[in-house]
Amino acid sequence: MASRWRWFHQLGSPKWFFEKSSKWLPWIWASTLILLAIGLYYSLWASPIEARQGQGHTVRIMYIHVPAAALSMVGYVVMAIASIIGLVWKMKMAFAASRAIAPIGAAMTFIALFTGAVWGKPTWGTWWEWDARLTSELLLLFLYLGFIALHSSFAERAKADKAASVLAIVGVINVPIIYFSVKWWNTLHQGYSVTQKGALAPEFQVPLFIMIGAFYLLFIGLVIMRLRVEVLIREQKSRWVSDWAASHEPKQMQKRG
Amino acid sequence: MFSALLKRELMVARRNWIGIVIPLFFFIMVVSLFPFGVSPEAPVLQKIAPGIIWVAALLSTLLSLEQFYRSDYQDGSLEQTLLIAGPTQVASAKILAHWLLTGLPLVIISPLLGILMQINHGFVESNHTWVLMLSLLLGTPTLCLIGAIGMSLALAANRNGMLVAILVLPLYVPILIFGTSTVTASLENFSYNGQLAILAALLMIALVVSPFAAGRALKISVS
Amino acid sequence: MTNKGLSASDLTISRAEHVLLEGAELELAPSTITYLYGENGAGKTSLMRCLSGLLQADSGKIHWNGQPITNLDSNYFQDLIFLAHALSMKAELTIFENLSFYARLRGVKDPKPLIDSATHDLGIGQLQGRRFAELSAGQQHKVALCRLVIEPAKIWILDEPFVNLDKGTRHWLAELIQQFAKQGGVVLFTSHHEIEELAIDQRIGIEH
Repeated sequence: MASRWRWFHQLGSPKWFFEKSSKWLPWIWASTLILLAIGLYYSLWASPIEARQGQGHTVRIMYIHVPAAALSMVGYVVMAIASIIGLVWKMKMAFAASRAIAPIGAAMTFIALFTGAVWGKPTWGTWWEWDARLTSELLLLFLYLGFIALHSSFAERAKADKAASVLAIVGVINVPIIYFSVKWWNTLHQGYSVTQKGALAPEFQVPLFIMIGAFYLLFIGLVIMRLRVEVLIREQKSRWVSDWAASHEPKQMQKRG
Repeated sequence: MFSALLKRELMVARRNWIGIVIPLFFFIMVVSLFPFGVSPEAPVLQKIAPGIIWVAALLSTLLSLEQFYRSDYQDGSLEQTLLIAGPTQVASAKILAHWLLTGLPLVIISPLLGILMQINHGFVESNHTWVLMLSLLLGTPTLCLIGAIGMSLALAANRNGMLVAILVLPLYVPILIFGTSTVTASLENFSYNGQLAILAALLMIALVVSPFAAGRALKISVS
Repeated sequence: MTNKGLSASDLTISRAEHVLLEGAELELAPSTITYLYGENGAGKTSLMRCLSGLLQADSGKIHWNGQPITNLDSNYFQDLIFLAHALSMKAELTIFENLSFYARLRGVKDPKPLIDSATHDLGIGQLQGRRFAELSAGQQHKVALCRLVIEPAKIWILDEPFVNLDKGTRHWLAELIQQFAKQGGVVLFTSHHEIEELAIDQRIGIEH
């Protein structure tokens, strides 16, 4: 029992995380770059263009849009789970994690919206269509912005963590409700759908999966980097941070001193 | 305990009655702007009526939140009631008082707005007014329940109503969708029972989650 | 069964990343009056809010009668009156309405006699029907103090209760606190200077 939970407690230790994560990051970034390179090569050059709908190269936007949209949803859920862990087990690292995820999730949401709009222009002839997926993404962006706005409104971090976590949990209960309402509302108004139903042909599937994998790694890498900064800010008064800062002082400064 | 909390809310509101009337004026005035802004023609008004009335109800609920929470926070009675009665109970009493004093009046006054927005135009016999009232009756409590969470969080952050709006409006979208669609379906002679059922389901979910979440947020606000 | 009183062990409190108390130990036995002193900003109010369960300590345990105060079974919050700086009265309501609200919240069935006697003793008996907003600052303060008479409790945590009181009210409050302690009550209060009318059993200082 004790050993099974050890990882959980270790993750709860900022110092442990900060030391270990510096060893993880090179691996994560290396594999992100490799997967991105392969994925982009396949999706931008090697994969066929969908000729039958006359979309031409616009189909390639899907390889960015779908992974970004997937990560935007996953990001919110992970943020909410971290919030629950923070509130229930009073784990400060979980609060730091939810704060670290928020802007990256919001960025993913924005990328999904932006690529959706770019795809929409040649396809629908308009930058914006109240399509179910785009509308849900827009509302998800609002939820992220609400979280960030609330968290940034506090002078006291401990209070901000708790309040924003309550919001994230309420928000995550609402995400499926919003998603299904928007979908239902959309069919009511006979809207369009970005995502065609039916299975994708394998020549599209493989590069898409590679890109999704690459985006997951990118997301994890970015979150870890932001979390490291959060940890430094939150633990700035503790001994190990000042030790770390002393050993990482820029070279020129040392010379001058 | 709960009745004492509720009674106090109602008493304060009675002394401060204008605060209860203003959201109602707001509701009526916002709706009556649309004929000027869009068109006074009955078919046009009828088409936009459900959306306009619902959006106005939503904003009116949002704007009336402030007075039910802010003064208790400022005069210190919020922390006292939280200590004695516990967060969930305090939040529940506030939510119920807020709905009784602002949500329910909206429901009652809504037929008047139905007339202004011509929802019965072209129908010899119609129950659109009842459907509008019913949709508001099922939807406004949910607006109050969700609004309580946003308001309590904004209190904790010591911010004003603008933050409440940012936090709460995305969460209001499902209620707006089904509330509006209930009335639209009735106007187009479709069945609207499904929409009403979903509004009721949303209310149930909010009833389970909100008092707890809002209570938790109120507790954070006094810490 | 005798009450074991309020105790805190290994209490660490910080506000805005600033540590106020570290590993504090506290023992408030029944029938004792404890005077909490310290400079402004030392953490007196934070400690009181923490003992009242409003503020969460970073670490440490607070027990009331042997039970952790966060325990749902503990009667702590029914037994506690915490008077803060804010007077916690509604400006729109009268003295009587304000006080009877708190009494009803505590489950007091008929608070009228208690309210009558408390307000009479403080010389605001005639003003019972006045709205709180219409009272002078001194009168408002007296109304808040009346809660101590009206609400049944076993522990009082009072943040600066003597500040800005006239002589008569000071006597009255000191007498009330003494009486309460004699009946087994636990009292913790802060003040900028010692109150000569009050026999203090325990002094606790917070240093920077």
